[in-house]
Amino acid sequence: MRHFKNLVRPYLVWSFLIIVIPLFLIFMYAVTTNGNSLINIQFTLDNFKKFIEPVYITVFMKSIKLGAITVAICLILGYALAFIISKFKEKTQDILILFVTVPMWINMLLRTYAWMSLLSDNGVVNSLLGFLGIDPIKMMYTDFSVIVGLVCNFLPFMIIPIHTSLAKMDKSLIEASYDLGANPVQTFFKVIFKLSLPGVVNGVIMVFLLSISTFVIPKLLGGGQFVLIGNLIENQFISVGDWNFGSAVSLILAIIILVLISVMKKLDIDGMQKGA
Amino acid sequence: MKKLLSLLIAAVLVLTCFAGCGEEKPTLKVYNAGEYMDMNLKSKFEKEYNCSIIYETFDSNETMYTKIQSGESYDILIPSDYMVERLIKEDYLQPIDKSLITNMDAVIPDILGKDYDPEGEYTVPYFWGSVGILYDTTVVDEADVKEGWDLLLNEKYSDEIYMYDSERDSFMIALKALGYSMNTDNPDELNAAYEWLINQKAKVNPVYVGDEVIDNMISGNKAIAIVYSGDASYIMTENPDLNYTMPDQGTNIWYDSMVITKNCQNTDLAHKFIDFMLREENALSNTEVVGYSSSVKSVFETMQKDVYAGIGAYVPRTDYEKDEVFRYQSPETKKLCAELWTKVKSK
Repeated sequence: MRHFKNLVRPYLVWSFLIIVIPLFLIFMYAVTTNGNSLINIQFTLDNFKKFIEPVYITVFMKSIKLGAITVAICLILGYALAFIISKFKEKTQDILILFVTVPMWINMLLRTYAWMSLLSDNGVVNSLLGFLGIDPIKMMYTDFSVIVGLVCNFLPFMIIPIHTSLAKMDKSLIEASYDLGANPVQTFFKVIFKLSLPGVVNGVIMVFLLSISTFVIPKLLGGGQFVLIGNLIENQFISVGDWNFGSAVSLILAIIILVLISVMKKLDIDGMQKGA
Repeated sequence: MKKLLSLLIAAVLVLTCFAGCGEEKPTLKVYNAGEYMDMNLKSKFEKEYNCSIIYETFDSNETMYTKIQSGESYDILIPSDYMVERLIKEDYLQPIDKSLITNMDAVIPDILGKDYDPEGEYTVPYFWGSVGILYDTTVVDEADVKEGWDLLLNEKYSDEIYMYDSERDSFMIALKALGYSMNTDNPDELNAAYEWLINQKAKVNPVYVGDEVIDNMISGNKAIAIVYSGDASYIMTENPDLNYTMPDQGTNIWYDSMVITKNCQNTDLAHKFIDFMLREENALSNTEVVGYSSSVKSVFETMQKDVYAGIGAYVPRTDYEKDEVFRYQSPETKKLCAELWTKVKSK
């Protein structure tokens, strides 16, 4: 085995090139002024101070709120679906999980464009409502359309980890729970849900990460005035050209995500210990 | 046996790869705005000059600038006036050899020699146009249209307005509505424009969109939209209920040009491309597909009688004193605008 160790080296170089250096660059941009010129670097914390302005805090809170709503909806829908799927025969389960991933075979942009034509003021849904004699509802460019887009795009990331932990669960524990006189509701909350907690935690982290940092979906389904933290960063780099502030916001986002993940992981471990 | 087979497959793969690379064709890298060229012209040019075009698109001049600045190299760019001015100032462009552009005489003389390139050294006009309000005549009162840009503050049309998701165009509207110059450097005037946009947001809840505005207006999702004249011409041929107006307070007249970058790999081919786009039959199919006003005189005149007959948007206003062309913004002004714009959108 020993001589295989050398095979790891290219990977180390690779990860240094594509992970460590970019992170370092983001950090450097975040704490300096003067755009792209390397000659006269000046260190500053102004980029972080700027973020404390009420406008940006509002953007940040809105992102967290939408992320939380998306996670909640995905969790309820995803858990139910994963639970139902795990009740089937193993072969059928494989096929059903394949179906869950079918939407992911199509590019995310195309799926979002599809939602645009479904939800627009004269779109498919409103035409159907009109056919039934119901007044059209304004759905595009609202919180609703953005949340629909986020949930649809990220639901598979919730279903798959939950299904994995439900499927590999030791069924004899559930039988034991019934034998000891627990009813189905008690069994679900005291045994099944607790044992599936690792999957739930992974799903929640993934969906939250994806929805808090997304920028294409809110831009297309919410319009340009629907600014989430991802859009704020994109704007700073693409149209405003303030790479320093953009990097500072990215860094703040990264730190918050790190903190959230470690809290969730701790929750996971505590949950497991209590379960056991 | 297995090893031998895999070796054979690998050899075949490598060889076929080389076969593909064998006949090296000259390439030209073109960077243009999205939905801004008849793509048949691309294959036509490739066939005629036995070359291949790498065609990429951007969604705003600023996106293009960021990409150029980050070191990406292209041969031909098609930016707007103020961006051309900036690129010339920052030494990204090389002069065009006009003796190689045989169709230069066909260009409308009135649109040459504008302030962004007074001597016409660096640019050859591609399309030109104005910015205006596209409105649904079945919903919007003609009397309200007379208000010009203030129509965008009219609460009667709240939730019915698409703004264009572009910093300069949005500030242009606010500045013009307030009677200021769109090229102002005065922070007070820019702050007043910012207040105008915030006020608009509170009053009528506009949606800031990009190119989606085209499909949305064709299917009549909202009643009012800020659009470029060329998009207006195209939309109006698809949806006859719409009309286009250039407000009396003055608007932006813009010129997009073909330019050659300093680090262009094949200047000869680049000049051929520019000349090719000005050729009458090519300019004709280009303007017909895209809807923007051609820079070629004969084509511009034919289209007014033909496909875009009766569509006012195809003919940008000329010689109206309140209209202006965008100029290069000083870095301080640019920074202030960018900050205010981020705030407008995030509010």
